[in-house]
Amino acid sequence: MCDELICRCEEVSREEIEAAIADGAVTMNELKRFTRAGMGLCQGRTCRRLVERILSEKTNTRLDEMQTSSYRQPVRPVRSDLITEYENNLMEEQ
Amino acid sequence: MKLKKDVCVIGGGVMGLATAYYLLKAGKSVVILEKAEIGGGASSSCDDMILLQSKKPGIALTLAMESLEIYRGLSDELNADIGFYSHGGMIIIENDIQLRVMEDFVRKQVSCGLDVEIVDRNTLFKKQPHVARYMIASTYSKSDSQVNPLTLMRAFLNNGLKMGMDVFRNTPVLEIVQRGDHWMVRGQNDTEVECDNVVIAAGAWSAQVGELIGIHIPITPIKGQLAVTEQIAPIGETNCWTAAYIASKHDPSILSDRSDYDKKIGLGFSFTRAGEGNYLIGSTRENAGFDKATSFNALSRILEQARIYFPVMNNVNIIRTMAGFRPGTEDGSPIIGAVDGFPGLFIAAGHEGDGVALSPITGKSVSEMICGIGDHKRFEELNLRRFSSAVAEV
Repeated sequence: MCDELICRCEEVSREEIEAAIADGAVTMNELKRFTRAGMGLCQGRTCRRLVERILSEKTNTRLDEMQTSSYRQPVRPVRSDLITEYENNLMEEQ
Repeated sequence: MKLKKDVCVIGGGVMGLATAYYLLKAGKSVVILEKAEIGGGASSSCDDMILLQSKKPGIALTLAMESLEIYRGLSDELNADIGFYSHGGMIIIENDIQLRVMEDFVRKQVSCGLDVEIVDRNTLFKKQPHVARYMIASTYSKSDSQVNPLTLMRAFLNNGLKMGMDVFRNTPVLEIVQRGDHWMVRGQNDTEVECDNVVIAAGAWSAQVGELIGIHIPITPIKGQLAVTEQIAPIGETNCWTAAYIASKHDPSILSDRSDYDKKIGLGFSFTRAGEGNYLIGSTRENAGFDKATSFNALSRILEQARIYFPVMNNVNIIRTMAGFRPGTEDGSPIIGAVDGFPGLFIAAGHEGDGVALSPITGKSVSEMICGIGDHKRFEELNLRRFSSAVAEV
């Protein structure tokens, strides 16, 4: 089961997550930074819970006491020109 | 918990980790006190550049070149993939005024030993097939490189732990007291460290740490915002910046027609492709205190520049945005070295946007200063004492 994919977007396996914990990661943000799990297209919507569970097991931390990794905008991928067009239209209206 | 160490490093970002690593390598025992978690500040909210071309000829450029040399062997030394690549860099030039400023700048850099040149449009379009066609020239240096700050921190941390380093997270420092020839550093959760040396490597938060000892460290948070794209194939050979931004640092009149908003957010343009294929598009230089929010307005201004300079980026998805606090000093240079009147106290902070690039040379040099190895006279111009306000009135 070691090659089980946890983060599908960045293709991070359980083994890689466990290796990052062995390297010294103890928080969700550190795990994200060290492995890229949760840094892909879906920004952790699929794997965040799975990664939390692995970290919880390995560090004997209760899930409800674990600090979740940070959320960043945008909520889902947005094409760059939609952002700039929106802003440019706003400026023209003013 | 009470512990005795040779050195207490305050700050678990790339600067603190690098300093700790070189100290451990030199045989010192080290503890890191980190107020939150590893790499929680600027070190993970930044891009990945080791940019030599933007450095002022002088100590800034010299240190960057030395750091680059260390980086070349660092993956092997740390036995980890730190995502180091040397793809080169280009500063794209829009008009004759910028060209003149850049020609002068390049000449000075060449005299300092940097391999950089001005290339014509054809060479620019060959290396950057997607750059806007109105560009007239570019600089090019094959030395500009990049490193993944996240895997770099992992490697420093892991190597440090193997050498017996202690790390205390969620441990803001509350008190720093000089006791004879040693120091006592007290952190949250009853952490107490007795040590010979203290290194302040707290990035944008260094001023707050200095206050605990009664020294004024003139470092303020400079907020920088970035947009991250989905992973795509390379659209050019090198990472890019614009002369508008670089040249304006040296001759502000170049950007006199900028809007008040762009001036307020300190809009610049940097465009790099991380090892995994995400483009990192930046950036701003804002005086906004410790407000970490990203703003739609600023990000759309950043992306508008990408649209103008690289129209193909219009169709690329933005998957993440971020803001980080670059530790900025009044004169734009870092503060590196011992603190007068406080034997055993050192500062390694204030690198603004160059922390990742300069972390190996800074960490190595501060470690040598602490161990009393080598001659570090050249760091005098980076010492805290250059600021007249440095020592608070007691």
